[in-house]
Amino acid sequence: MVLTDLQPGKRATITNISMMSDILKQRLIDMGVHEGEEVCVKCTMPFGGPVMVEVAGQCICLRRKEAACIGVE
Amino acid sequence: MSQIALFGNPNTGKTSLFNNLTGSYEYVGNWSGVTVEKKVGILRSRDAYVVDLPGVYSLHPLSRDEGVATDFLLTESFSTVLNIVDASQLKRNLHLTIQLLEFGKPLVMALNMIDVAERRGMKIHINQLSARFGVPVVPVIARTGKGMDELTEKLRSVEQTKPFTLTYDDVIETAIAKISSYLPDDIERSKRWLALQCLEGNERVYEYLRAKIALEPILAIRKQTEESIRQLPHGRSLRERLHHLRETFIEAVLEDVVTWTEKRPLTWTEKIDAIVTNKYLGMPIFLFFMYVMFMLTFDWLGSPLADLLDQFFSGPLTDTLSRLLTAMGASGFLQELVLNGIVSGVGGVLVFVPQIFILFFFISLLEDSGYMARVAMVMDRLMEAIGLNGKSFIPMIIGFGCNVPGVMAARTIEQPRERLLTILLLPLMSCSARLPVYALFVGAFFKAHQASVVFSLYVLGIVVALLLAKLFSSTILKNEHSMFVIELPPYRMPQALTLWRSTWDKGKGFVRKAGTFIFGGSVAIWLLSYAGPKGLHVSMDDSFLATIGGVLAPILAPLGFGTWQAGAALLTGFLAKEVVVSTMNIIYHVKDTDTLQGLMAHYFTPLSAFSFMAFVLLYVPCLATVATIRKETGSTKWTFFAIGYALAIAYIISFLIYEGGKWLGLS
Repeated sequence: MVLTDLQPGKRATITNISMMSDILKQRLIDMGVHEGEEVCVKCTMPFGGPVMVEVAGQCICLRRKEAACIGVE
Repeated sequence: MSQIALFGNPNTGKTSLFNNLTGSYEYVGNWSGVTVEKKVGILRSRDAYVVDLPGVYSLHPLSRDEGVATDFLLTESFSTVLNIVDASQLKRNLHLTIQLLEFGKPLVMALNMIDVAERRGMKIHINQLSARFGVPVVPVIARTGKGMDELTEKLRSVEQTKPFTLTYDDVIETAIAKISSYLPDDIERSKRWLALQCLEGNERVYEYLRAKIALEPILAIRKQTEESIRQLPHGRSLRERLHHLRETFIEAVLEDVVTWTEKRPLTWTEKIDAIVTNKYLGMPIFLFFMYVMFMLTFDWLGSPLADLLDQFFSGPLTDTLSRLLTAMGASGFLQELVLNGIVSGVGGVLVFVPQIFILFFFISLLEDSGYMARVAMVMDRLMEAIGLNGKSFIPMIIGFGCNVPGVMAARTIEQPRERLLTILLLPLMSCSARLPVYALFVGAFFKAHQASVVFSLYVLGIVVALLLAKLFSSTILKNEHSMFVIELPPYRMPQALTLWRSTWDKGKGFVRKAGTFIFGGSVAIWLLSYAGPKGLHVSMDDSFLATIGGVLAPILAPLGFGTWQAGAALLTGFLAKEVVVSTMNIIYHVKDTDTLQGLMAHYFTPLSAFSFMAFVLLYVPCLATVATIRKETGSTKWTFFAIGYALAIAYIISFLIYEGGKWLGLS
């Protein structure tokens, strides 16, 4: 399952971030988004816009196609 | 005096801490990257400098503003590191702390937002935290200034202790040892730190070392280490491994240092976000906010204030000056220079100070409240469609105040092409200097619909920018890979003092400009209008200014304003856009806005006035913006491109407005 499959408000654990591009992966790791961290989708913007997720006590916004590269369980 | 370097993650209250620690006026904002330049203040105890650096998550930079922080460590000399840490985000913040400790300078930790952490159910044991890292830790509340005295005291007394060493795993330690032994002995930075940053793949550190030694052996060690790490059970990259090992250490520390109490449900940030980032309401709410901002600036509050100021300049001030000059026995030349040149020129611009401050106030409010990052999120889908990302929208909003900080704010955009494109399009954002021009014309020709006409110009600027972005990004600036990640900081109640400082900081530039550029420009323009080929004190139509403006007149005729006056005003407007108004005040020999507006009806029709305003909006970035674009892009070619395309697009749009309007039967 990937992050975009997650229902808004439901929690899951990140299992895989290796599918992302390097620069994006580095940025997310710096922000505390990495394997084993708990994640929750807060909301999504219309017309395929970005998603807002809560990770490690902070809110982060990223594009949907990039969120689709984050594996969760 | 010694230097203290202030490091911290974005959105940790770094700039507030800087302001309170130094008592200086600094620009405070609450979205990643407001601090785009190195700023220096003096400690309140007056015995050390404090350098405010851009917020970074790690010392390995991804964008240009982050590079500033790493470059500082590599090139500057300083005595102490002040590391601001957000207590409510302790785990993430301590990664930077470890990297700073590895650098080896004395460090003081300012633990900010203890109150927020407590609300989240965290109890942090300060003494234990201090003991685990071997550095002084001072709890502070940066927004109110609590804890500043103790922090200052610790900063002054901190001494170099035993360097902090985190032991990584065997593979990495071997690599560190190999790189360290390869580094020359006379190198001025900690070898262990340099080795670790090389393993991270830090380009800035590579550059630093490349100037001293051959880099290939280091890269070879890194490659070899990377391969060994890949073969470990988890199969992570070297960078992820380093992060993971630090994380493990931090988690162990936090086990001892933090006790969790009952976690209270999350705050009003979530409640506000449920509305302003709502799927359907997000965009309309943003547009509504912008509309209220413009109505307040032009209709409800700004215009009446500007009128009062105008009355003061044209009435009491002019009378007093006139009487004073006569009493002093000043010559006719001097009297005319002061009254027709300086008072008209400078005063004509200064009357718009209230409107500009109201606008700046709202921009500060956007920055300081945390809403700005949400705007980036709401706008990202649209920006993606035209080849930019949501972060490009933030410089554009700042550009509404002034294009110069807008161009600089584009530094936070990671992808070079998206950044360049944002910079190129930024001058199309209608800055506050263009506001006096609109205010003058809408007052004369569109009395009933002032705010909506001005709003339409702002929208015109944005629409043209979006269309050109699409055009450029699909032709000359094809994007390699667009990306967008932004942290959404919790909302913070803006504080009156911070808001005022931030508004004043932006607005004072406008006032200063009135005293320098516009003052000088006014004198020069008046002299050009006073002198002519036939001598001094000639009729305005025979002056040098008329001659110069006359050259442009035929070119401008198809746009509806083919007069030498318009030509001269536009030419001088390159200095600063508000000089257009100064020039018109001087040319038409009037002292107050009302008379000028009455007089302009002879030279403009509502249609040609709108065409003129559109031209002023688009035609060329002002001198200061051009200089900033040159500095930020580092390219003369792109600077000329920015001027050239703007002129072309202004001509085309004004032509379409005027000729199209005529065709539709408007006048």
